[in-house]
Amino acid sequence: MKREDLAALTAACAKCGTCRTVCTLYPERKAEIAVARGKVVLVEAAASGLDGDAEALQEALSDCLLCGRCERACPNQVSVEEIVMKGRGALAEELGIPAWKQVVFGKVMPSAGGKTAARAAAAASQKLFLRKVPTESGLHYRFPSAFGLSGRTVPALPGESFLGSLPRGEAVRGEVILFVGCVFDHVFPRVGRAAYETLRLSGKGISVFRDAPCCGLPALVAGDRPSALRCVEENVRRLSDASPERIVFPCGSCLVMFRRNMLSLLPKEHPLYGDAVRVADRCEDYASFLLETGVLSRLPDLPKSERPGRIGYHDPCHLSGTLGKGGEGREVLRRAVGDSFGEMKGADLCCGYGGTFNIRDYPTSAKIGQNKVSVAAEGGTAVIATACSGCIFQMRDMAARTDPSLRVVHIAELVSQAFSTR
Amino acid sequence: MDKQALSALREVFGERLDTSREQCICYSYDATGKMFLPDAVAFPTSADEVRRTILLANERLFPVIPRGAGSGFSGGSVPVQGGLVLSMERMDRILSIDEENLVAVVEPGVVTETLKEEARKRGLFYPPDPASLKFCTIGGNIAECSGGMCAVKYGVTRDYVLGLEAVLGTGELVRTGVVTVKGVVGYDLTRMLVGSEGTLGIVTKAVLKLIPHPETIATILAFFRSNHDGSNAVVGIIGERITPCALELMDRTAIDCVRENAGLPVPAEAGCALLIEVDGPKESVSAEAERVDQACRRYGAIEVGRAADAEGRERLWTLRRSISPALRQVNPVKINEDIVVPRSRLPEMLAFLADLAYRQNIKIVNFGHAGDGNVHVNVMISGTDEDERRRADEAVAEVFRKTVALGGTISGEHGIGIAKAPFLEMEVGPLGVSVMKRLKTCFDPNGILNPGKIFVEEGMARR
Repeated sequence: MKREDLAALTAACAKCGTCRTVCTLYPERKAEIAVARGKVVLVEAAASGLDGDAEALQEALSDCLLCGRCERACPNQVSVEEIVMKGRGALAEELGIPAWKQVVFGKVMPSAGGKTAARAAAAASQKLFLRKVPTESGLHYRFPSAFGLSGRTVPALPGESFLGSLPRGEAVRGEVILFVGCVFDHVFPRVGRAAYETLRLSGKGISVFRDAPCCGLPALVAGDRPSALRCVEENVRRLSDASPERIVFPCGSCLVMFRRNMLSLLPKEHPLYGDAVRVADRCEDYASFLLETGVLSRLPDLPKSERPGRIGYHDPCHLSGTLGKGGEGREVLRRAVGDSFGEMKGADLCCGYGGTFNIRDYPTSAKIGQNKVSVAAEGGTAVIATACSGCIFQMRDMAARTDPSLRVVHIAELVSQAFSTR
Repeated sequence: MDKQALSALREVFGERLDTSREQCICYSYDATGKMFLPDAVAFPTSADEVRRTILLANERLFPVIPRGAGSGFSGGSVPVQGGLVLSMERMDRILSIDEENLVAVVEPGVVTETLKEEARKRGLFYPPDPASLKFCTIGGNIAECSGGMCAVKYGVTRDYVLGLEAVLGTGELVRTGVVTVKGVVGYDLTRMLVGSEGTLGIVTKAVLKLIPHPETIATILAFFRSNHDGSNAVVGIIGERITPCALELMDRTAIDCVRENAGLPVPAEAGCALLIEVDGPKESVSAEAERVDQACRRYGAIEVGRAADAEGRERLWTLRRSISPALRQVNPVKINEDIVVPRSRLPEMLAFLADLAYRQNIKIVNFGHAGDGNVHVNVMISGTDEDERRRADEAVAEVFRKTVALGGTISGEHGIGIAKAPFLEMEVGPLGVSVMKRLKTCFDPNGILNPGKIFVEEGMARR
């Protein structure tokens, strides 16, 4: 894996060890290989030609939640996420990408039709194989123990996706585009719907990005850079043509892909690079858009809550950490639910999802996630609101496992509720 | 390491022994950036596992290198001759905090800050505060006798270790010292082990002294025109019979790194800054802060800032904290020395360093714990220029010679490790080295423990 670009990135690490203090995974692993310094040195060694076993290295690099805490704590601003993702990419090239991932990332994710077909197949298999469990956050299915994922729950796929439910012709044109994201379209269409309806209260013309490809982040973190690039190219091309004033994201992970990762994935000489910079510049999180357009100031003042502080805000790593948008989500909640919102205990703890990490090591992912929701519940939080599809997916599973009375929602759902009840 | 050794270790550690190349790479370095691959890494969880490991090492003659968090600046935990790295990070329990006798008993893998916080919750104070306190471990602190900013008032790790449980190089488990404030029963084996860099024994448990937590703290930041004024002020403050709990000096080279983005305005003519803290009961702290303020002005301070609340203090600290991260912009590779001179010789030392940088045409950034005469001399080089590297090495040797000539010591808190081994004799003399080597033989006759450190010679164990 001789790679000069990687060698240049890793050279910035002074090996001080500061990353050990903030790593989400370190307390679980208690080994240097878990933390950024270990991974950076491994990539450094491999990039300079001191390869060990490529599969073992891939394994080490995969053992990371990409929560970005190390990068933010680093005194030398080492681009740890970039190093890990590029490392995974280089190794995927070397080792090949497993066939199932090739199909998912290469064929399904970049196309809307592919996603719809995959959704139908998944919904059918859910009914066949999984057992139903009722939770406050909606119906979940539980994997039987035979799957080796004992106890894991997944949300029941609703009959219709959000985009599928929009009448033809509705919201095709407007100065603001809603990028709803795969999960809020197919898995939690209520979130997509709530985001759409509350954005419309801004009085701006809101159009929905129909037939949208995936943002590309799942493929990117899995090391499938070619597929991620296809998603990005398709998105940039179409969003550039539409030339909106703003592109609004209810999901922090999709947003970080557009605002940050997209630009490191596209080489500067790529014909779409200039377009990508312009697109990235117009991308914004849901909460910021609501605050800017003053939607929430139309809500009347709320009476004192019977249970102040029962609703908390969870900081998605990408949105609050990488993009520094932790304040906006909280402000939206403060206005939407009044003093029912209170700072949640452990708000900035990672949910443990980490994209593909959740699939490769579910027990550890679940341990981190269960700790997250238990700390919140012990602190008196009954509803966890947030703004990232991965976090919601994970925390609903964790709530179903530990405390089914705990609700996990998107802030848009609470905003929508505030407008419908007042 | 041979197959028998590894399979015997496997019986001790099971899955907690790892020989994969990836794991070995992750235990091959410390904060010096020097890399030497071990043959294996093990993660002990009990003193007995450590004891069995050392017995095996004596049988099969392989090096054993204890390691805390790998945050050292002297190469103390780097396996220069291969062998087995014993990573103590999983022995990380605080076993007890005795509030009546003010004693904590901890395992070596406890992170320093964790202990400080647990003590704080009980109104108690474990003072040692190395810059890496958020991730370095008590075991590593003991091995290197770490210091920190508050050493000027509270001393260093050594001053808080009452007793130890350690496995010697022979594989014997020894308990040293006391659990009381006093104790003079026989030789002081505890002090012998503190700062021995893992070459005499591996600490498996430590009995540490705690003190009442100071009631409050105040921070003063003073800018001076020159190193001369600033370092004279250091001497002057101490002359006032005040003992600050931090007295940090940043010289012109350090201020220049952050002049534009120090997080607070830096006077244009500032060529030196002192960050001073005083702690204790409320009444005395505000009186002392006032006296420090006055002393600074007397020695020519051009601006003095003061804060007693957390927010204001944090603001004053941003200047000091922003220096280390900014060093990289001077040059990518840092050679970090930690010399100490008697406080009264600081002005002379700083003048020497400025002249040296000029003579050797090399970038040197100086800051550090001036209150105890400890200066972090950071020689910043590109890392790609051979001649620059040679000039840097020469400069470092000159710094050490000057330090010793001024009655100082070549390492205040980092230890000798591999980085300063060639200069050991310069400071302690041939007899000093010889006595140390004789002691080493008593504790570790087969040269199992951390070979290749402190002394220049090859270690005695073979791979």
